[in-house]
Amino acid sequence: MHIPDGYLGPATCGVFYAVMLPIWTAASRIVKKTLKARQVPLLAIGAAFSFVIMMFNVPIPAGTTGHAVGGVLAAILLGPWAASIAITVALVIQALLFGDGGITAIGANCFNMAFVLPFAGYYIYKAISYNAPIDSNRRVIAAGAAGYIALNIAALLTGIEFGLQPLFHHTANGQALYCPYGLNVAVPAMLGEHLLIFGWVEAIVTALVIKYLQKQSPELLKEGEVA
Amino acid sequence: MFKNNNFIERSIAGVLSFLKESVFSDEYALKKGFLQSIDPKIKVVLFLLVLIAMLFIRHSIILLYFYISCLTFAWLSKISIKFFLKRTWVFIPLFSLFIAVPALFSVFTPGDAIVTFKIAKASFIITSQGLSGAILFVMRVVTSVSFAVLLSITTRHFELLRTLRVFKIPQVFVMTLGMCYRYIFLFVEIVENTYIAIKSRVGAKIHYKKGQHIVAWNIAHLWARSCQFNEDVYKAMLSRGYKGEP
Repeated sequence: MHIPDGYLGPATCGVFYAVMLPIWTAASRIVKKTLKARQVPLLAIGAAFSFVIMMFNVPIPAGTTGHAVGGVLAAILLGPWAASIAITVALVIQALLFGDGGITAIGANCFNMAFVLPFAGYYIYKAISYNAPIDSNRRVIAAGAAGYIALNIAALLTGIEFGLQPLFHHTANGQALYCPYGLNVAVPAMLGEHLLIFGWVEAIVTALVIKYLQKQSPELLKEGEVA
Repeated sequence: MFKNNNFIERSIAGVLSFLKESVFSDEYALKKGFLQSIDPKIKVVLFLLVLIAMLFIRHSIILLYFYISCLTFAWLSKISIKFFLKRTWVFIPLFSLFIAVPALFSVFTPGDAIVTFKIAKASFIITSQGLSGAILFVMRVVTSVSFAVLLSITTRHFELLRTLRVFKIPQVFVMTLGMCYRYIFLFVEIVENTYIAIKSRVGAKIHYKKGQHIVAWNIAHLWARSCQFNEDVYKAMLSRGYKGEP
C-alpha cells in the first residue's frame, strides 16, 4: 500500500501534505498533553514496533505469504493519536532511509496508513468491543473486524488516489502523466487484493495478537492507550 | 500445498536484507566521494527540490537527462553502478514496468494506433498515447527512486534524520524518529533470534494456520517486551538527566 514517487501528480501530493499538516500538529499537541513522562520512550518503541510488524511475513494458504500493516493493532495498543505519530515516523524512516514509499508521497501514505487506518480501526474496535471485559472474545472479534474493515477503507482510498491521476493530469491528446489507470481499473485492483488477501492477513494478525495479549499480559490492553 | 514454513525464511531474509542495507549505506556514506562531501542539510534540501521538480516534468527525454545525471552523481560518489542499478530497479521500478504494460493497449489508453496485432481471434492495438504514457510513468518512477536511494546511501542515516530539524518539524516527531531508528535494530535482532530459534526447533513443515499463530505470538511477545523495556529506558533517561525535553 506504500505509494512510490511518480505515481501521484504534484497537486495530489501537495493536497495530502496540506491535509496531514493539521493532523500531525493536533497529534503532537494531544500526545504531548496526555503522554505521561514515563511513556515518552513508548512512542519511539511504538514506531519501531510499527516498522517491524511490516517485516513479518504471514503464511497464507497456497504456500505463499503476505504481510500486515499493523496500523489497527498500533491504534488499539497506543490509542489513535499516538499510533498516528508512531506510524508516521515508521513511514518517514521507510521512505527516507530505505526507499520504501515515495518521499513526495509521504503525505498521501500517511493519510492512508497513519490517519485513516488507525482512526477507522480504533473506532470500529471501540464500537464492537464497547463495555466488553478485557478477556472477552468480543474484543478478539472486534480487533479482527477492525483490521479487515479499516485496511479495506485505506485500500479503497489508495485506489481512488491512483484512479484520479489520469483525470487530473493528462496531455491534450489523452496521454497519462502519472499513474495510467483510471478509477474503473485502480479501485477494483487495489480493493480486490485487499478484500481477498491482505484484509484477512491484517484481521488474523490483529485478532490473534489481541488474543495472546489477553492471555499473557492483559494489563497491556488496559493501560495500552497513550492518546 | 497448504503446508509451508517459508514464512520463517522470508522473515529472516527480510531482516537480513534490512541489516545488510543499513551496513552498505553506512559503508557508502563514509566513502570520500562527491555527494558525501556536501553538507547533509544542503543535500537534503537540494534532493527534495529535485524530487519535487521531477513531478512537474512532462517529457520523458528530460527525465532521461535527470536519470543520467543521477547515475553520474552516483559514479562521482564512488558508488558501484552495478550495486546502484540493482538497488534502485528492484523492486518498485520493475513492478511499475510490469503494471505499465497493459496501459500500452487501446483497452486502457485509447488513442492513435501505432501497432496492431492479433492473438487467437482478439486484436490488440498499442496506442502512441499508451506507449508514451507508460514510458513517462516508468522513467519518472525509476528516476525518483534513484534520487531517493542516492540521498539515503550517501548520507549517514543518523545525519539524515537530524536534518529534519531544519524543516521545523514538531519536537515530538524528531525525538521519536531518532529513538525509533535505534530501536528498529534492537527489534530486528530480537525477531531474527526468535525466528532462528523457531526454525532450528521445527523439523517438519508447518501448517499455515499454525504459522499464523507463530507470527501473532511473536508480535504479541515483542509488544510485551517493548512495554517492559519502556520502563528501563525511561529510568535510563532519568538517570542521565532527562527533564521532559530532548
